[in-house]
This record gives sequence, C-alpha cells and structure tokens, in this order.
Amino acid sequence: MSAVAAAPGRTSASSRAGSPLALLAWAFERLTPLLPLVWLALFFLGPLAFTIIYAFANATFGGVELGFTLTNFQQALSGFYLHIFLHTIVFAAMGTAGAFVIGMPLAYVLGRKAGRYKTVLAVAVLIPFWTSFLLRTLSWETLLAAGGPIQAVLNFLHLHSGQLGWIDTNKAVAIGLIYGYLPLMVIPLFVAFDRVPAEILEASKDLGASRLRTFLNVTLPMVRPGVFTAILLTFVPMTGEFVVPALLGGNKGVLMGGLIYSQYLGAADYPLGSAMAVLVMLLIGMVLIAFSRLTKGFDEVGAPA
Amino acid sequence: MSVLQLTTRPGLRARTRRITRRVDMIDTSLWALTAVIFVFLLAPIVTVVIFAFNQGELGKQTSVITGFTTRWFAAAWDDPSLRSSLMVSLKVAAPTAVIAVIIGTAAGLAVVRHPWKPVRRTLEALMYYLLVVPEIVLAISLLIYFTRTNFTLGYMTLIAGHSTFPIAVVALIVRSRVVALDGALEDAAADLGARGWRSLVDVVLPQLLPAMITGLIMAFTFSFDDLLVSEMLATPTVSTLPVYIFGETHAGITPNIYAMATLMLAVTLIGFSLIGLFYRFFGRRTGGDQPSLTSTVAGH
Repeated sequence: MSAVAAAPGRTSASSRAGSPLALLAWAFERLTPLLPLVWLALFFLGPLAFTIIYAFANATFGGVELGFTLTNFQQALSGFYLHIFLHTIVFAAMGTAGAFVIGMPLAYVLGRKAGRYKTVLAVAVLIPFWTSFLLRTLSWETLLAAGGPIQAVLNFLHLHSGQLGWIDTNKAVAIGLIYGYLPLMVIPLFVAFDRVPAEILEASKDLGASRLRTFLNVTLPMVRPGVFTAILLTFVPMTGEFVVPALLGGNKGVLMGGLIYSQYLGAADYPLGSAMAVLVMLLIGMVLIAFSRLTKGFDEVGAPA
Repeated sequence: MSVLQLTTRPGLRARTRRITRRVDMIDTSLWALTAVIFVFLLAPIVTVVIFAFNQGELGKQTSVITGFTTRWFAAAWDDPSLRSSLMVSLKVAAPTAVIAVIIGTAAGLAVVRHPWKPVRRTLEALMYYLLVVPEIVLAISLLIYFTRTNFTLGYMTLIAGHSTFPIAVVALIVRSRVVALDGALEDAAADLGARGWRSLVDVVLPQLLPAMITGLIMAFTFSFDDLLVSEMLATPTVSTLPVYIFGETHAGITPNIYAMATLMLAVTLIGFSLIGLFYRFFGRRTGGDQPSLTSTVAGH
C-alpha cells in the first residue's frame, strides 16, 4: 500500500546520534507506537482472548469453569440458535443490499450531479449519522406504530388500508437496519463518486460513448473500491446489530446480537454467549477474506495515493 | 462540444434533441429519487422534534399528535435519573475523547512513519481489527475481562472500554493527513535546526490539528452514543444516558426522552456549524488546501 511505501524517511533522518537530546528523540520516535500497542493489548486483544477462552469453557450453575469443550459451539449451531444465526446472515445481507440500492443513486447524485449544493446535501446525510443511533431507531417506533404517521401516509396513498401491524416484526427490523446504516453506506460511495475526475468522463463522452456506456465502463470501475468498502462497512456491524431488533423486532425479530446480549444479561450462560461471539467473528473473517480476493482490501480507499 | 458538432448536420439535429430530452428526464428522475431518500433520511429526526412537543397520554408518548405542549422539556430537566445519567455520559465521553485522540494520533503517525516495518504492519492490522469487531463482541469481552481480572467496574473501566473503537477512527483520519503532509516543511524546519520533538510539536502536529479535532468530536460522539459497552459495564451508580433511555423504552417511550433528544440535536447542529466555521477559517488561513469537512468526516 502506498502509505507504507512512502514511509521510511524524513523523521529518522532528522535524528542523528550524538548528543543525549538526539538520543532521547531517537528513542521517543521508536517508542511512540508502544502507547497504542500497550493500550490495545490491555483493552482490546486481552478481552477478546478471554472471550475465546470462555467459548471453550464449561458452564456450571451460575458460573464458569475453564476447560476445553466444544459443547458451546454445538449448542450455538443447533436448533433455535442456528436458526437465528442463519437468519442474521440473511438479514445482514438483505439490509446491506437494501442500503446499497438506496445509497447508490443518492451517492451518485451527491458526488456527480449536486454541483455547488454538494456540501449542503452531504451535511444533510451526515446529520442522521451524527444523531444518536438509539434515538433514531426509537423514532421509528413512533413512525411505524399502529395509527402512526407512516400508516397515515400509506393509507392516504392507498398503498395500505387499516391498521399498520409492522412494529415488532421482521419488516420493522429491515426498515430500521436499512435506515440506520444508510449513512455508513452513502459516505464511502459519495467519496468514490466525488473523486472520479471530470476530465476522464469528458474524454469518454468525446470519444462517443453514451451516458450509460460511460457510467458502466468508466465510472463504475473507478468507484468499485468505494463500493466494496461501503458494503463491508454496512454488512459487518449489521451482523452484530443489537439496538434495531431490540427496539423494533419484539419477540419475532431477534438477531444474533440480541441473542449474545441475553446470554450475558439474561440467561447468564457466558460460555454459550462467547461461542456465539466467536462464530460471529469467524463469519466476519470469512466475509473479509472473500472481499480481499475481490479487491485489494480497504487500502485502496483508506489512503489517497 | 460534441453536441455542437452533431447539430451542424441537419439530419442529426432532431435525434440530438431527443437524446438531450432523455438525459434531462434521467436527471429529473434522479433528483426526484434523491428528494424521496432525503425525506426517508430526515423523517425520524423531524419526528423526534415534533413529538417532543406532543401532549401524549398518561405520561407516555403516543403515535398521534394529541396536543401541543412544552412541558416535557421542563420534565426532562427535572428528571433526576435523566440528569445524573447525562452527567455520567459527559464525564465518560470527555476523557474518552482525549485518550482516543492522544493514542489514535500516536498510532496514525507511527503507522506511516515508524522506521520498522513490523511495527507499521501490526498497527495497521490492529486498526482494521478494531473496525470489524462488532460492538456486542467487544462489549461482552470487556465484561468478562474486567470481572475475571478483578477490576472494579466504574468510570475507569467505562472510559477504557469506550476508548478502543475511537482510537481506530482517530488513527485512520490522522493517517490520511500524515500521508498527505508536505515533507518540504519538515526539511525546512530541520535546516533551521528543529529536529525530533521540536519538529513534531512545531511543524507536524499543527498540520494534523484539523484531523485531530475531527477525531476528538467523533470519539466524543461515539462514547456519548454507545449503548452496548455501557450496558455491559454499567453499575447502578455509574450508568450512562443511552443505558437509561434503553431501560425506559421497555415501558413505552416517555416524551421526556424526545424532549431531551431535541435538545441534543440542537447541540449537534450547533456543533456542526462550529466545525463548518472552523474549517472555513482554517481553509482560508492556510491557503485552502485543508481537507473539507465532509472529506475528513468520511476519513480520506
């Protein structure tokens, strides 16, 4: 990746050994990464390691006995739990697809058509992104409620008649997921569309390509890395989503995140919850590997060349 | 230009006009679609504001407007649990943001400039792991970890738990700035005798300031909004605002919450305007090559 290739350089050249001050600067430069490394080892890698250890531990009555067993995984991959796991994958995929279908035209208009309104519209996309996720989801509870605003609109448009029974169903969860993650989908797509140089599109037009051809053969390949990033940024957190199903799904719309949560603050079966968490991480790992084969990964979009 | 050439040939004129009209139609429908999507994006936020002034029934929020009132704002202000959880949230979010900026900036600098490749690689991998681990997994991991290692749950554990994810966000934003730094400035500073620490403080960090401030705001917002890590690590005395709100929702939404959400939204919008002004100011002073607000928020 380009960032690393440009790396060895300047700062190390500036510290020439000799005076104690230079030695101090030399050491400081090499030791800075210790700060993030130690902190993340303590509060990120350490905790994750404990979860993995717990996933193989035995659940005793109200406690945990460390050991090595696969029963937690067996339990997590059978019956109701397996059903929820698969259901979560399907829902995350559907939610990502939904957000993509809505986000793509929006990002295209923002990045290529908005002209001087670009900043204003981009900020309008960012307002929901900066508003509390919990409150945004809560608001859908009011919007979708029987007798609520959405029902009134749908009845008025003759798209639906009578009471709206969407709350506490999968339909509400799908709407909440798509809504909640739409800004995360739009932002990388917008950046990608925004970066396509106008001269290239003009060249394509001058060479006789129609608008559709230009879009398919020039624009789309250029925004592809952004598309992959956007899909990953949406899909990955959706697999562990907790707030949306908890508020909008009721008993029928439980997803994996809620299931893990209830093993900790409900049933108190920590090893089972840990095994589920490990399974979710494995799933994400598999998705990442699949994606890294499709693209060079985050790097293409992560750092501008 | 190509259109002009085509129209010089009479037979093609009608066709060109047809194509132009079709292109206009595509544009119009794209804009119409955009308008609908914006309604979808902003409807829940507008709803919160409107229903904050709703009478409700029996002290609960209703899905229809039952009358206009401003009493929920007073009620929200007088609610002691709401107030104390808001205070806890602020007391956790502020140090979290500072820690995330310090550690994230160190990581963002080192991931580009550290002389040893394994260090750069490790930091980069860690940043991406942080971004892809779902919050629920991090939340339960922290709970197991802190209870197993006999940490007492409280402010410190909450701050430590909240800081991890924003570190990655800050590091990514800072990294993209470090990559784009103009090395000539540091060379000039070195020629004038500023090396190492001096160069970092006087030359490098000022250039990273906009990225660090964006990171600070993002880290604060993340901590302030976080539900899952707080749910797992909260204690009866140290419990944040989202935990309180989430607990309240089980018994139906109280209008207090919408009133407070409206106030928070106002604060967010004011914050937004301030960042906008900040960028305008910075952009002008440094000759306009600072990143725009949107591009920095998007992390590039």
